[in-house]
Amino acid sequence: MSDLKIVGTSVPRKDAMEKVTGAAEFIEDRYMGPMLYAKMKKSTVVHGRILSIKTEKAEKHPGVKAILTGKDYPNMIGLYLIDRTFLAVDKVRFWGEPVAVVAATSEKAAAEAVDLIEVEYEELPGVFDPREGIKPDAPVIHENLGNYEIVPIFYPTPGTNIANHFKIRKGDIEKGFDQADHVLEKEYYVPQMQHVPIETHKAAVQWSPDGKLTVWSTAQSPNVVRQLLAKSLDLPMHKIRVISSYIGGGFGCKAGASIEGLLVPIAQKYPGHIIRIVFDREEDMQGTFTRQALFSKLRTGYTKDGRITALQYEMIWDGGAYTEYGVNIVRAAGYSSTGAYDIPNVKTDSYCVYTNNSIGGPVRGFGMCEMQWGIERQIEEIAKQLEMDPLEVRLKNGMKRGSTTASGQVVQDVDYEKCLKVVADKIGWGKKESGKDGKLRGKGIAGLVKCPAQPSNAASSAIIRINEDGTAHVMVGATEMGQGMLTVISQIASEALHIPVDKIDIKVPDTDFTPYEWQSVGSRITYTCGTSVKRAAEDALGQIYRIAADLLEVPQEDLSYDGKKVYSTRDPDIKATIREIADSCKKCTGEGIAGPIIGRGSFVPTNMTNLDPETGQGNPGLFYCFGATGVEVEVDPETGVIEVIQLASSIDAGKAINPQLAKVQLHGGTIMGLSTALYEEVRFDKGIMLNRNFTDYKIATFDNVPHMDSFIVETPETKGPYGARGIGEQPMIGVAPAVANAVSDALGVEFNSFPLTPEKVWRALKDKK
Amino acid sequence: MLSYEYVKCTGLSEAVDILAKEEQAYPYAGGTDLMVGMRGGKFAPKKLVDIKTLPELNVFEENDQGIIIGAAITLNQIACHDSIIKNIPILAEGSHSVGGYTIRNRATLAGNICNASPAADTAAPLYTLDALINIVGPDGNRSLPVEEFFTGPGQTALKNGELVQSIFIPRPFPAGKGVYIKASRTGSVDLATVGVAVQNWGEHVKIAVGAVAATPVRAFSVEKAINEKGEKSSAEAAKLVNNDIAPITDIRGSREYRYHMVEVLVRRGLEQTMGV
Repeated sequence: MSDLKIVGTSVPRKDAMEKVTGAAEFIEDRYMGPMLYAKMKKSTVVHGRILSIKTEKAEKHPGVKAILTGKDYPNMIGLYLIDRTFLAVDKVRFWGEPVAVVAATSEKAAAEAVDLIEVEYEELPGVFDPREGIKPDAPVIHENLGNYEIVPIFYPTPGTNIANHFKIRKGDIEKGFDQADHVLEKEYYVPQMQHVPIETHKAAVQWSPDGKLTVWSTAQSPNVVRQLLAKSLDLPMHKIRVISSYIGGGFGCKAGASIEGLLVPIAQKYPGHIIRIVFDREEDMQGTFTRQALFSKLRTGYTKDGRITALQYEMIWDGGAYTEYGVNIVRAAGYSSTGAYDIPNVKTDSYCVYTNNSIGGPVRGFGMCEMQWGIERQIEEIAKQLEMDPLEVRLKNGMKRGSTTASGQVVQDVDYEKCLKVVADKIGWGKKESGKDGKLRGKGIAGLVKCPAQPSNAASSAIIRINEDGTAHVMVGATEMGQGMLTVISQIASEALHIPVDKIDIKVPDTDFTPYEWQSVGSRITYTCGTSVKRAAEDALGQIYRIAADLLEVPQEDLSYDGKKVYSTRDPDIKATIREIADSCKKCTGEGIAGPIIGRGSFVPTNMTNLDPETGQGNPGLFYCFGATGVEVEVDPETGVIEVIQLASSIDAGKAINPQLAKVQLHGGTIMGLSTALYEEVRFDKGIMLNRNFTDYKIATFDNVPHMDSFIVETPETKGPYGARGIGEQPMIGVAPAVANAVSDALGVEFNSFPLTPEKVWRALKDKK
Repeated sequence: MLSYEYVKCTGLSEAVDILAKEEQAYPYAGGTDLMVGMRGGKFAPKKLVDIKTLPELNVFEENDQGIIIGAAITLNQIACHDSIIKNIPILAEGSHSVGGYTIRNRATLAGNICNASPAADTAAPLYTLDALINIVGPDGNRSLPVEEFFTGPGQTALKNGELVQSIFIPRPFPAGKGVYIKASRTGSVDLATVGVAVQNWGEHVKIAVGAVAATPVRAFSVEKAINEKGEKSSAEAAKLVNNDIAPITDIRGSREYRYHMVEVLVRRGLEQTMGV
C-alpha cells in the first residue's frame, strides 16, 4: 500500500469553499416554488386517550389551507418495528406528540391556527421508568404490539411494554462463575441525552399532478426515507424522489424517516405547492429521538490474577413512546455486551421497554456509550479490588486478533493494545501528579469498540461517469452532514482512477439520480460506500484499458496507465491520453470502439449473519473499530468542579483516507463525549421535558475544551477500501468512563452514572464521609 | 407567534411617553432576555420601543461624583472599561461572567438588573458598591439604591412607564480588593448556581450573594461578624451566610448544594479580598 498517492493525504475538504462563503445550500436557503408552511399541534399530556379534536375555529383562521389529524391519516411507519403513525391516532404516548398539523400561507398563520385547535384528552396512568414499565402490572402503552409488523430479528412480548428482548448465551455462565475467585456486582445508570445538531429537522414536500412525490429532507438517508414512504403510502419507488441537501449535523437524530411523511396528504391536496416544516429548537429537543436511558446491572466473575471468566449483563432501556428504531440499539448493545474484552462465558439480557418519555433512538455510539460505561467502570473497580493496574487488567482481557465477541464472532485486524498504550503513554500513566490549592489530581483510561449496527444486507452503490475531457462525476447516495463524506469518497475514487481530486465532482444525494445507499449511519460510509466507489472506479478503469487496447492495438496486459495517458509498456511512444480515450472512442479509421465510460460498483456485506434467537450467536459485525481514551483531571473537592488537564484519544482507523479529517472526527467525538461526561442530561418530570433549551440543556463550549492529543492507529482492515474502516462514532464512547475513572482515582469514590456535574461529585464525596 | 410593532425613538421623552401610554409596550435595548422571554411566552409585547441609540442612555462617563453607566451601555463595554477594571474590578468581573462574548456585545447592565433574575451576575457586585439606579418616567426622575430596586424574582421597583436611565457608582471607590465568584454547571456561558460578591472597603467589607434567595441579598450576618465583632476567621464568618439566604432546589442545583457552595465561595471571597 506504500504506493498510495491520494489516500492518506489531507486534501482540502470538497465542500470547504462553499461552506465558508455561505454558498452551500441547506433546505431553507432554497426558493422552491409556491409555499405552504406547516406547524404541529402537540400533545399536552404524556399518556392519554384523545376524546375529541376540534378544528373548526382553526379552519376559519385566515391563511389556513389544510388541517390534518391522525384519524385522517392513520398510516403506520417505522424502520424495524412499525409502531408509529405520523399523527397520534386515538392515543397520545408522550408529551409533545403531534396530534394535528396545520398548513397555511405563512408560518404565523399556521402557528396561530394551531393555538385555535382544541383537543380533549382522558389522561391515562403513565410509565416513566423502564424498570417499572417492565413489570407485569404496568400500564400497557402499546396495546397492539402483537399486531405490529416487525423485522423478524426482534423479539417483543405482546401484552407488555417489552418491545424487544435480546439474549446472549455464550459459553457456560455457571462454569464461568465457578472458575472465578471473586464476583463483582453493581448497578449503573445513563440518562437520556440529545444530539444538538446545529441544524434542526426540516422537510419540504411537493406533489405533482402526474403523481410524483418530491421530498427535500435533512434525512441522513434519502433511500430509507423513500423506502419507508413507499411502504407507508403504498406508492411505487420511482414515483418518490428524495433529496438530501447539505445537512447541518446529524449524530443519528436524522437517521431513518422522521417528519417527511407528515406533510404528504397536504401536498396531495395542493399539487404544485411546496409544503415545508421547520422544527424549532424546542421541537427538535422534545419531538425527535433522544438517546435512550439505560438502567443496567453487571455481574463479573474474575480470577485473582485479573482474568475475567464470566459476565452477566442485564440492560433495561428506556425506549420511550415509540421504539421503531430503538429496538436495534438494544440488540446492538446486546451483541456487543463484552465491550472490547474477550470474555468466554456471557449471559446478557437486553430489554427495550416502552415508557411515556420522549422517543428513544439512535445517537452517535448507538448504545455503545451507555453499555460500555458499565463495562469500563466495572473493570476499573475489579483492578482496585485486586490492587492491580487498571491498564494491565484491560490489556490482559482485551481483544486480540482471533478473539471472540459476545456473539461469538471472531475479530481480525485488531490492535487494541496499541490503542490503550498510546493514550496511557501520553498522559503519563502510572505517575501520580499532585494538585494545587487543595485540588486533587487523577488519571483514568477507558477502551472502546464498535461495529456498524446494520442489517446484514445493507448495501451501497456508486456510479462514476468519465467526461470527454477526462474529468469525472462520482455519484453516491451517502449524505454530507459535516463528517467529510464528499472528500473521503472523492479521494478513494481519485486513488483508483488516477484522476486528481480537483477533477472529480461529487454531490449530495438525490434518489432520482444517485444510486442506492442504505443509510449514512453507523460509521459505515467510508467502508461500504468507499468499497462500492473503489469498485466503480476499477470498473471504469477496466473500460479505459479495453478501449485503449483496441485504439492502440496493444494487448491489455502490455498497457500501463499513469493517470494522464495509457501507453504500451514495450514502447511508451504508443500512447493515448485519457482525454482521447474518453472523448473520441474511435480509431483513426473512424470506426467507433466503445461508448462513454460509466463505471459502476456495488457492495453488500458477505461476512454477516443473522443471530440465533436463543443464544445471540452469529456474526453481526461488518468490521470492529477499537480505540481508547486517556484523561487526567484536577478536582476541587470542596465544590466538585472537575478540570480536565489532559485528554488523549486513539482510534484504529485501519487506514486514514484523509488524516486531517480523521483527526477532526477524533476531536469532535471526544469533545461530544466530554460534554456528555460532564454536563449533558435530558431531565424529565413525569414525562415532561424540563430542559428543552440551551439555558438548561448544557453542552460544552469552546471554553470547556482542553488541549487534546489525537492518535490515529492504522491496523489495516483486510477487506476495507485501502485498509480503511469507519471511525465517526467511536471517539465518543470511551470519554465518560475515562473521566469517571480519573475522578475516581483522584477522590477515591466510585461513580455509577454520569454526567459528573459539580453537585454529583460533591455529593459522592459527602456520602463517602 | 407574536405580532408586534417596532418603534425607534429619537428622544428619551418620546420613549417614556410611549411606554407610559401604551399597553404592553416594552423597552428594547440588547434584547438578550427580552427575545428569549418572548419566545418562551414570558412576555407578549404589542410594541417594542428601541432605546439603544438614545443619546441620554449612551452616557458612559466618570466625574468627581462617580461613574455613570447609561442604560444602553453593553456588558462588554463595561468589562473593558479602564477605570472600572482599575477601580471597581468586581463590576468588570460580574459583567464579564454574563453569557458569552457575543451576548455581551448586546446585553446591557440596565437590562441585566431590569430582568431581575435572583442570579443576575451584575447585581451582587452592584450591591457591594452602593450603586444607585436612576429612573426616568412620566412623573419625572428618581433614584433608588440598587437593593431597593429588586423586589422579587423578575420584579423591580419600576412603575408603569418607567425606565432605567442609568446606573451610578458613587465615589469614593473601594479602597480594597473585590471579587465576584460564580459557581455554575459548566463554568462558561451559564447561569449562576450561586454568585458571590465580596468587596473590601478598607475599614469594612460588603458581601452580596445571588441565586440563593428571591432577590440578590446582602450577607449582613457575615458583614456584621467581621465589621462589628472583629471575626478574624473567614471560615467561621462564612458559616453565618446561612442566616441571610433562602435557596431553593431547581434544575441548576439543589437547595443543599447551594447552601454549601455559598459558604465555600464567601469564605474564598474573604480569603482573596481580606487577606485573612
